[in-house]
Amino acid sequence: MNLTQDRLRSIGWAAVLLTCFTLTVVLTFKVNAVKSQVRLTEREIASTRQQKLFLETEFEARANQQQLKSLNDVEFGYQAPTAGQYLEGERQLAALGKARSPDAPSPIRVASAALSDNNNSLPAMVSPLSGKAMAAEPSRHGEAKITTAATLGEHLSHVVVRGPRSE
Amino acid sequence: MTSFAVSTAITSGRRDLVNVRTRSLLMAKWRVLWVVLGFAAIAMAAMLRLAFLGLFLGLPSAADLAAALRPQRGDITDRNGVPLARAFPAYALWYNPAALGGDGPPLVHSPAQVAAGLSRILPDLDMTEMTRRLAEGKPGYLRRRIMPEDANKIHAMGEPALEFPRETERFYPQGSMAAHVLGFVGADGHGHVGMEEVFDRRLTDPATRGAPAVLAIDTRVQGALEDEMSRAMLDTNAKGAAGVILDVDTGEVVALASLPSFNPNLIDRAGEANIFNRVTNQVYELGSVIKPITVAAAIDAGVVTDLGRRYQSSRPIAIGGFQISDSHSFGASLNIPEALIHSSNIVTAQVADQLGGARLNATMRALGMNERPYIELPARGFPIWPRGDWSRITTMTVSFGHGLAITPLHLAEAYAAMVNGGIWRPATLVKVQPGTDVAGRRVFKASTSARMRQLLRMIVDLGTGRKANAAGYRVGGKTGSADKPGAHGYQTTKIVATFAAAFPMDHPRYVIIAMLDEPQATAASSGQRTAAWNAAPLVGRLVPRIGPLLGIMPDATRDVDITDLAPLIGSGDGE
Repeated sequence: MNLTQDRLRSIGWAAVLLTCFTLTVVLTFKVNAVKSQVRLTEREIASTRQQKLFLETEFEARANQQQLKSLNDVEFGYQAPTAGQYLEGERQLAALGKARSPDAPSPIRVASAALSDNNNSLPAMVSPLSGKAMAAEPSRHGEAKITTAATLGEHLSHVVVRGPRSE
Repeated sequence: MTSFAVSTAITSGRRDLVNVRTRSLLMAKWRVLWVVLGFAAIAMAAMLRLAFLGLFLGLPSAADLAAALRPQRGDITDRNGVPLARAFPAYALWYNPAALGGDGPPLVHSPAQVAAGLSRILPDLDMTEMTRRLAEGKPGYLRRRIMPEDANKIHAMGEPALEFPRETERFYPQGSMAAHVLGFVGADGHGHVGMEEVFDRRLTDPATRGAPAVLAIDTRVQGALEDEMSRAMLDTNAKGAAGVILDVDTGEVVALASLPSFNPNLIDRAGEANIFNRVTNQVYELGSVIKPITVAAAIDAGVVTDLGRRYQSSRPIAIGGFQISDSHSFGASLNIPEALIHSSNIVTAQVADQLGGARLNATMRALGMNERPYIELPARGFPIWPRGDWSRITTMTVSFGHGLAITPLHLAEAYAAMVNGGIWRPATLVKVQPGTDVAGRRVFKASTSARMRQLLRMIVDLGTGRKANAAGYRVGGKTGSADKPGAHGYQTTKIVATFAAAFPMDHPRYVIIAMLDEPQATAASSGQRTAAWNAAPLVGRLVPRIGPLLGIMPDATRDVDITDLAPLIGSGDGE
């Protein structure tokens, strides 16, 4: 066989075309396979929603107002709260608090064991983003310090003096 | 020769052989070609089919999913989204004797065994009846609705003749609650009686049934209202009860109950008798609850300018052969607040006489009492409205609630207008979006409305409505106990006891109408049968239950200011 350059080129083109066509067909099939998977999933969603509706309705029927009322009558006997049980606003809440009178009994104190480890450190703050303790996160302002009960004061009373004061 | 002959024979034989061989080869080639072509054709067909399936079928569309989830009939929910009516794919139990096929018996086990098995799962089953039906071998429903877990158990019995078709049915999870508001769906697939009928087209139209129809009803408030009403009904042996709670600013019906009720899940003969709606369809002469409306009309028209002015209350008014009298004597004279507190017919009739029939008539018309009540429900009663120009006696009797029969809903709309600043608005069962300004018409001046709030609050604080005075909720209202008209005039043994209330009176939000039909004197009502002893305590118990649900917190430090009217009230029971 004597293959001229032209012939080789056309065979090459044909091969490339065939490959592309095959790949296109394969891809199309793949796409359609995924699509039908989506359809299956959607069917599953629909049937799950139906199931949910079914259960929800059953729950509503079992927990309807009349059932709850008879259950309350037999089991609990809860009654609507009276006017005295409501507070409206901070003012009414504050009115409940009174200064301790001189003859009042001393307030009850609850004993608690001091945690020996870590020198009374506050519970480590966990970053909501990384899930790691805040201390493990690299600080943007230089070295990170672990806040403990002893060092908390530094944070609170940290005053930055900008520039020299004219005195 | 012979050799030649032999050789000829050999040659000719060889030639023949070659021919046969060539032909056989050719035939074999052709056969192979045919087989290959056949396979190729089949492969081609398969490929084409595959390509067709892969390319054109199996394309999911969003419409399919939406259609699968769209109910057969749209849901109805309350204002907070709690489902009140739902299309529910329930299981039925169907007997199909042909399921096994062939000429053998339709059941694997004997009918008696199957009936025994079914009665273990469904204990209320009639065994003998079921055995008879299974033995008979006719297809039909054994049960219209069974629970899914029961369906599983019956399936485990292994009887192919017992089938579970899934049927979409209308289901009301709350049972008989709000039955008159919802109505029911009949065997024809159309709604009847309540909002099922009103929304029928919307709930069945594929374009709109996907979204639920939202009502103004609040399930919790409705439950509390029905509970308290049925309790009062049992306490007083009343024939029926009607109650409605209305938002005074929007006209939304937050709860509406007519007792005895029916179960829309199961309409039977007993239920059918109770379908009649006492709130919107039955008209009553409601009696003294009309008095505040008369007084408001008189204040509004400038007829009553001095609330301290005294009217005689000792002598019955004789007019047209009738005598207008009070239940008992309240002394020589009463002023307006005292007349309302003690509910004096004599004084109200005098005020109405001064006001005149035309103006009272105009006010009542403005309150919609001459036409059917405004609400979506199909069952709306036409009031018994005195026609033409009102004579003196008509004006006087209407002023204290006789000679004019209206529905409890009319009364609720009128009270809402009286306390909300004077604007009458139609009642609606459809939720109004918060912040919407509902159109209405002005009936009373704002100043009249403010005065009426004081007066209604005083009736509950000091007068006949004391048992409705829920601590901290600033309830105001008026009692009404009217004799029912019979074939021969008014019957003194049958009354309609009504309490019309609004709360909180310093800024009214809701109107409550509670009505008992023919309550009896019982120990629970302290041997009394008037509204002060049955309908008023009902409201007194109801308000603390519903107030916080509706966003009204009790507050003992607030109240409507009645200091300017307080000196007008004499101490003691009338003077």
